[in-house]
Amino acid sequence: MKRILAIVLSAVMILAVLAACGNDSASPSGSGATATPAGNNNTAGDSTSSGGGERIEIVFSIWGDPAEQETTQKGLDVYNSMQDKVYVKALQIPNEEYADVLQTMATAGNMPDCGMVNEPTAIGWARQGLLMPIDIYEGQADKPLDYLAFKDGGKTVAYSGANEVLGLWYNRTMFDAAGVDYPPTSLDKAWTWDEFIEVAKQLTFDSNGNTPNDDGFDKNNIVQYGAYVNQWTWQLEVWALSNGGKWFSEDGKSIVFDDAAIEAMQKVVDLHLVHNVAPFNPGTTDSGFGDSVGAGNVAMCTEGQWATGFAGDTDIDYGVAVLPYMKRKANIVTGGPVGVFAGTKYPDEVADFVRWYTDEDNNFGTIEAGWWMPTKMNWYTDEALLKKWIDDVPLRARLPADAYRTAMKDVALDLTVSQSTGWYYTPNTFEIINRVLNPAMVEAINGSKTVAQVIADVRPAMEAALAG
Amino acid sequence: MSNKPKKSAAVIKEQRAAYIFLIPAFLGLSLITYIPLLAAFGIGFTDLKVGHFMPNTPLAPPRFVGLDNFVNIFKNPSINFQNSIWVTVYFALFAVVSSVIYSLFIAMLLNRKMPGRGFFRSIFYIPYILPAAAVIISWHFLLIYDGGVINHVLVQLGFERSFFLDSKSTVIPTLVLIAVWQCGNLIVIFLAGLQNVPRVYQEAAEIDGASAWRRFWTITIPCMTPIIFYNVLMSLVANLQIVVPALARTRGGPGKATMFMTYMMYQEGFRGGQLGTASAIAAVFFIIAAILAFILFKTSKSWIFYEGGEQK
Repeated sequence: MKRILAIVLSAVMILAVLAACGNDSASPSGSGATATPAGNNNTAGDSTSSGGGERIEIVFSIWGDPAEQETTQKGLDVYNSMQDKVYVKALQIPNEEYADVLQTMATAGNMPDCGMVNEPTAIGWARQGLLMPIDIYEGQADKPLDYLAFKDGGKTVAYSGANEVLGLWYNRTMFDAAGVDYPPTSLDKAWTWDEFIEVAKQLTFDSNGNTPNDDGFDKNNIVQYGAYVNQWTWQLEVWALSNGGKWFSEDGKSIVFDDAAIEAMQKVVDLHLVHNVAPFNPGTTDSGFGDSVGAGNVAMCTEGQWATGFAGDTDIDYGVAVLPYMKRKANIVTGGPVGVFAGTKYPDEVADFVRWYTDEDNNFGTIEAGWWMPTKMNWYTDEALLKKWIDDVPLRARLPADAYRTAMKDVALDLTVSQSTGWYYTPNTFEIINRVLNPAMVEAINGSKTVAQVIADVRPAMEAALAG
Repeated sequence: MSNKPKKSAAVIKEQRAAYIFLIPAFLGLSLITYIPLLAAFGIGFTDLKVGHFMPNTPLAPPRFVGLDNFVNIFKNPSINFQNSIWVTVYFALFAVVSSVIYSLFIAMLLNRKMPGRGFFRSIFYIPYILPAAAVIISWHFLLIYDGGVINHVLVQLGFERSFFLDSKSTVIPTLVLIAVWQCGNLIVIFLAGLQNVPRVYQEAAEIDGASAWRRFWTITIPCMTPIIFYNVLMSLVANLQIVVPALARTRGGPGKATMFMTYMMYQEGFRGGQLGTASAIAAVFFIIAAILAFILFKTSKSWIFYEGGEQK
């Protein structure tokens, strides 16, 4: 009896182990996800008969905080209820783990059908075959702005699902208290870099109320800083462009980092090191607005358009202006692409869904929440649409709306100013920017090396990373 | 002719049952640990990438590349694995020595009869069970150059501020400090060991007039050497695997000062999709950890005191 019991128990345990290691091969999407969608009787892997045809299930992976994910889910609910051929299930992954989870799923040959993609990995993923290089807008007039297309060798591999430009965000209360005029909100009145530093000095105070312009200013006891330029490394590219320099060649095949680029990056770190108007900011975390204007201890910061959305979580009275410039007015655009992953069994249905999902009318929740700007040209030119996503959205109206129109919308439209970030056309930018340049720059930011020394040190590594 | 005694039926039956019950654990270990371990060694000799697992991949099929990956991780300046080995071993040895000395000292204090002993034991253990990423982010807020409490206190006391996690020269000592703060598990094990140090030895030495310091060196430490060995080994293995501070805060910097071996393996494998290179890194990491553990075992014979005689 004991022997039988032992054998049965062993068999059960072995089966349990094997089942846990097994593949969810029944999933039509191959996602391996198992949750049952609310309001739908399908489990992953099932197709149910509906209206005479099989309803297929596709898995859409997204990142974002819980609020952003809830907004996305609402959009998917609409899609699922408006037709009965396709059921889209969200696979929600925390932002910081997103690329890791998807690559792990890819290793098992089990990627979702479609989903968001981290910008620095987009071209590399397309080259490895994780992203299907299909142009979901091919032949369509109504498609995202050209600079939002990720291109490898001239061929589009993905489009950003959102548009984002950089701006200068400022705390009105601090400006009012110091009696300083608000920053300019239109490109024609943009501050020069020197003007920006001068205003930042007027807004920087030590514990005795002295500014860097005053005798007796104590740089070790600063209680309010005038400026914070985001040094989360990819954002530094805008200053290289502004100073007439470049990070990458236009074909994305070589590392440039010329003298003008290096000089610009040095000017940024000098805000802290030389001028004492910016807090020490190692640039190793992606929290520019939250660590500065959002924290209530800095009067101005540079950050992407997504800072609009923080107004829902803070009582700080802030507005938006245009970036200052060095030699030319410049801005960089970005936005996480929504890609179709290789291995999907339903490329046509997935492409239809991605087109639907990236249509502004259908993801308006994320635009309304302040996180995204539209991607298509008509949303920047049609007055009714402009009113819908700027004037009628409370988070933008409080900036106020007319300032937002000139500081964000006009900048995004001005192609002499705004251009794609390097990762739209350069492969391996994750390795170049995040792995090599980001930790190296800390030595320039803390003043132990100049930016020129740092770039000289890491240039061979950046070149090797670009070569792959 | 064998002169082994014949096993009785009962012994054979018992052995068979033992094997049957071992099968699930053996299968689990094989499938989850040993086969992947062997596979990782094998993959290290190929140019396998994540993309190879996808249907219709544009990549050429994976191929055997011999030692190319092992050469590449040392020659490619964007990997520079010799730096990773150096910073990891430097951190691990520094952290092991500091943690073991600190935890033995705290354990001896907590082993004394004093009011609130249970409370203090809990206080020193709590850092160990806190989530590692939360710990490093919390320390970041304490240590940051502008606005960090510790730098504020330093300035008030008339000292210069320190960059702590943001300077090449201070980042490893700072991470060691955090590792030491988190070594509550070592304290608990030392406490258990201290309670097993025979009281009679201490009493005999006291009667003979030995000072507290002499009793510590000649009785407590020798009796504790098996526990010290265990803690050094566990601490070494754990600290060689350091990755969270780099992932959550330092990103491998400043410069390459925290580009730890596991962090580089993660970067190559999970971010770059270069499974062949990542597996080569894993293999080298395994060999280095094995060498350090081997050295520790080899030297242990000369300094571990086993009460019942030499350990076989």
